[in-house]
Amino acid sequence: MGTLWSNCISKLESELPPQQFNTWIRPLQAVESGSELRLLAPNRFVLDWVKEHFVSRIEEALSQQRLEPTPSVVLEIGSKAQEFTTSANALGNKAQKSRTNVPNNLNTAFTFDNFVEGKSNQLARAASIQVAENVGRAYNPLFLYGGVGLGKTHLMHAIGNIIIEINPVANIVYLHSERFVSDMVKALQHNAINAFKEYYRTVDALLIDDIQFFAGKERSQEEFFHTFNTLLENKHQVVLTCDRYPKEIKGLEERLKSRFGWGLPVAIEPPDLETRVAILMSKAQQVGVALSPEVAFFIGKRIRSNIRELEGALRRVIANAHFTGKPITPDFAKEALRDLIALQDRLINIENIQKTVAEYYKIRVSDLLSNKRTRSVTRPRQMAMAFSKELTNHSLPEIGQMFGGKDHTTVLHACRKIHELLESDSKLSEDYSNLFRILSN
Amino acid sequence: MALQLSLQLELNPDQSFEQYHTGRNCEAVAALRRCAAGSGEKTVFLWSEPGLGKTHLLNACCRDAGQCGRRASYLPMRAVSRYGPEVLDELAGLPLVCIDDIQAIAGQADWEQALFRLFNQVQDYRHHLIVAAPVPPGALAIALADLKTRLAGGLTLKLQPLDDSGKLAALTLRAKNLGFELTPQVGHFLLSRYPRDLPSLWQLLERLDRATLAAKRRLTVPFLKKYLDEMS
Repeated sequence: MGTLWSNCISKLESELPPQQFNTWIRPLQAVESGSELRLLAPNRFVLDWVKEHFVSRIEEALSQQRLEPTPSVVLEIGSKAQEFTTSANALGNKAQKSRTNVPNNLNTAFTFDNFVEGKSNQLARAASIQVAENVGRAYNPLFLYGGVGLGKTHLMHAIGNIIIEINPVANIVYLHSERFVSDMVKALQHNAINAFKEYYRTVDALLIDDIQFFAGKERSQEEFFHTFNTLLENKHQVVLTCDRYPKEIKGLEERLKSRFGWGLPVAIEPPDLETRVAILMSKAQQVGVALSPEVAFFIGKRIRSNIRELEGALRRVIANAHFTGKPITPDFAKEALRDLIALQDRLINIENIQKTVAEYYKIRVSDLLSNKRTRSVTRPRQMAMAFSKELTNHSLPEIGQMFGGKDHTTVLHACRKIHELLESDSKLSEDYSNLFRILSN
Repeated sequence: MALQLSLQLELNPDQSFEQYHTGRNCEAVAALRRCAAGSGEKTVFLWSEPGLGKTHLLNACCRDAGQCGRRASYLPMRAVSRYGPEVLDELAGLPLVCIDDIQAIAGQADWEQALFRLFNQVQDYRHHLIVAAPVPPGALAIALADLKTRLAGGLTLKLQPLDDSGKLAALTLRAKNLGFELTPQVGHFLLSRYPRDLPSLWQLLERLDRATLAAKRRLTVPFLKKYLDEMS
């Protein structure tokens, strides 16, 4: 930053309330050239606001520097050192330039080696390795689906990283579906849609995350449909992730849903306790922290919803330990996570589980607490009991008590029955997944 | 003596780390300072009951970032939510983005998606994002699970409330920042006779600043008594 703008900044900072300064002036970037001070705003909103409210103050601050002639202020949208090129920007000169110059957005920290395998994700991991080692020839597209924070993005990056390892000049693009949409909009605005099409239709592997965000965006779906077909025809790899099975995505064209199912759709389920513990141990090891199995079990038992929240809890514990210099014991972890645990206990309790399960099966909570033994009531009751055991720390007698004074052996039977049916009854298994998702979020 | 009217100037207390009474929040402040300097955790979620200085700290982060030559943006969602989510466009290109009062847009699908997009872009750039709210991520009424879990996946920091001696120290520091002296006697008097939550105390302090300026008097217990009597 030149001295001209630094002087202006110092003056404005002393005059404006900090919040206004940090909202409008701090994001500006200055380019000083001769008699001109070009100020680059990150977006139209900042630009318009600065133009309307601050440009005269900036000019005044400039005039006080007694330069002859006083530099003029030019406001524009932009950034002088774009650390990260949007694909739309990279499109124009794509034809001339080597593709390897274009960033692929892959995060090298996500590998198969540090992806912890468990019952819930082993199929997805195996399929991903197959795809990475046999680009365009194994499963195409590979469609990874499951709830939020279960490791879909990790697998996607791991696939990309292996492809690059095997073939360092491979053209791979990883991006979030939202970015595909926004890049397409930019390409349309800049009359670069042909370059956009060419760019995406000629990659060796296209990895698109969270395609559920295509829902309702018809123009993007149309463009993606053609990109998808071209890539598949040319035996280039497509990997997609989504929070649900293709057929369940509302607002997505039928032809896309059907094509997404052509290759291999593979589910990732929430990790069981053992996998959660293994994930915690692995994550801790990656940052050089020795986590005892007791602590990992403690955290894994309390945070059940998804891996992202598990990581958040681990971060909290490690940061606290680093700061205080104390060893990480189960008691220490309990204290560090006190607020998180208290919140979870408030959000997930037996009453809440009963209410959610009753609503899901369209029965009354009083039915769950009754002694009725019809199937339409028994199964939901068993489901609610199983969730009460899985998601709360109440004892079996306490759970029985909360279900209209049932015996603890009834609760035990319910839990066993549900776990047995999860293996054999796909409808019940789907209900369980849906309820788990509702209760954990 | 007729009271001289003081000019209704906007008070601009310095919102720097130096002007923040750290109290029991050393860990949170240290983590935020690292974040502002471009190291430490990439995503931080800061929460606490209102009045403990989240806004102050977010602005202090922007200021520190600026001093290190890093551009930053402070976005108070309560104020900017009346405009469109386009407010967030391309902000991820800035090395530090601070989002205050995220709860103000919770439940608004277009804002949640725009924030989700911002979050992903910040990660692509390997930049820093600090989000503040009065509740932890899990208690936010955010409908987009993808966004909510991402907020919970970073480092969550809670600001701890101040006890009375902490409040006294914070009041003294704030008064000094506004340019007047607050003696321990005046501080104790305030804490024993006035609502002790920090937002009420800050407001009173600013009113006292104006009143002492108008009366050209130092802030003493008798002055305070008289002022509070007149107010009531």
